[in-house]
Amino acid sequence: MPATHDMLLVLSRVSARFADEGEKGTLALKDISLSVPAGSFVSIIGPSGAGKSTLMRVILGFMPQTSGEIVRNFSRPAMVFQNYALFPWLSALDNVAFGLRMSGVPRKERERIAREKLKEVGLAHLENHYPAALSGGQRQRVGLARALALSPDLLIMDEPFSNLDTITSESLKADLLKIWRTYGMTILMVNHLIPDAIELSDHIIVMSGHPGRIEKTFSIDLPRPRDTRSAHFFRHVDLLTEDIRAIS
Amino acid sequence: MIGSVVHPRTSASHRSHARRNKRAWALMGILVGVSLLLVAYGYFKAVEWPMLADAVLHTTLRLALAYGIALVIGVSIALLVGWSPFADVFFPLFDILQNLPSFALIPLFIYFFGYTSKMIVIFAVSSIVWPILFAVLTAIKSAHKDLSDAATIFGARGLRRIPYFLAPLSFPAMLTGSIVGIAIGWESVIGAEIITNVAGFGDFIKGASASGVTEDMLAGTFAILVIVFAVNRLIWAPLLSESSKRYAE
Repeated sequence: MPATHDMLLVLSRVSARFADEGEKGTLALKDISLSVPAGSFVSIIGPSGAGKSTLMRVILGFMPQTSGEIVRNFSRPAMVFQNYALFPWLSALDNVAFGLRMSGVPRKERERIAREKLKEVGLAHLENHYPAALSGGQRQRVGLARALALSPDLLIMDEPFSNLDTITSESLKADLLKIWRTYGMTILMVNHLIPDAIELSDHIIVMSGHPGRIEKTFSIDLPRPRDTRSAHFFRHVDLLTEDIRAIS
Repeated sequence: MIGSVVHPRTSASHRSHARRNKRAWALMGILVGVSLLLVAYGYFKAVEWPMLADAVLHTTLRLALAYGIALVIGVSIALLVGWSPFADVFFPLFDILQNLPSFALIPLFIYFFGYTSKMIVIFAVSSIVWPILFAVLTAIKSAHKDLSDAATIFGARGLRRIPYFLAPLSFPAMLTGSIVGIAIGWESVIGAEIITNVAGFGDFIKGASASGVTEDMLAGTFAILVIVFAVNRLIWAPLLSESSKRYAE
């Protein structure tokens, strides 16, 4: 990975606890150290309960770390959620424009940007639809457009494909890569599918649970666009699978 | 990029809503039909309609006023407490307060406000406010973590969180809280009128039952049922239907 000053995010020995009924709470993350290079695509994989989503919350400051240091060299983070987290009372257009509205962007301008982003994710024709009238894939695209509307320098994606069928997730992955190349932003994605992580990422961080900690990091040096049916690709999947098996 | 298709909601919930709506109107049709038959047979000829209308109007206006005040107070407190970090502290306190039996406190209301219309309205406010407050506060407390995080990350922070996130989030709860609150409100207003003899529907039926004039009571009951039905069908049912469509998962 590049030198520290090129890093968008650096975590040094970060630990965090859930504030539950115990005297000290439950240790959720233990001594997490990682660096995310600016402009890279990093995936975090691991079993359920490994603290992947908790780590995202700590990075965004939604949950305080109990020890360690976080250097955040980003100013405009955005997030795409596993369960879409669209505001049900707003149309697709207003959902996408929400962040701009909160930033004080005038109505005409924010609607223009929102329409542009909806077009980018292929949903221009559904701008007046409410989330309840959209399919899972469409909702996730609105969620992606909402994030892109902020022109984020860090896009955090928490298992964005896990609620989608294979066909929808394949097309969304292709669009995501296109968008990543266009915007040049840093993407930090929580994932639990090894092939997806290898197809998309520059770096993969493997976590294990109880408490959540980093077991290993991998750099994927396959050329892009990646052929997911090539022998090289399958070899990477096998190697990573073996490593994860050994860890767990 | 891929194209995509709309998934219109032709779901079972729409059909069942339409069925419920039809049933409600049928029930009301029967009620009105029976009333008209009784009128035709002269059963209600002794009813003093202007007096009944005046009593029902007084009661309805008191309820409407009490509901308006309770809505503002209940929603405001719930939003502020839900927004603050003290929701867990206030929740049990509100729980104790709402469990105090309203009618046991009526002497206090009479002491402070006398046998007046104002007393009845304030007493009704104290009953209606709780279901609204609890419904809104519960909706805020049980909001999905992802939705709450989305509001934060996309800028609904500080006081702006209230109008842009918490208020619209709790709209369905405010509706259901209002429906329960108004049901309790009818009881409170009519009950307080019976106890205090302040002019209104409660006072009217008390007088009617004391003199054994059952047609007055029946006519009054029909009148209240028609109002309750009209409010339900014309205000709550469309709002609930819209809310269930919008907020469906």
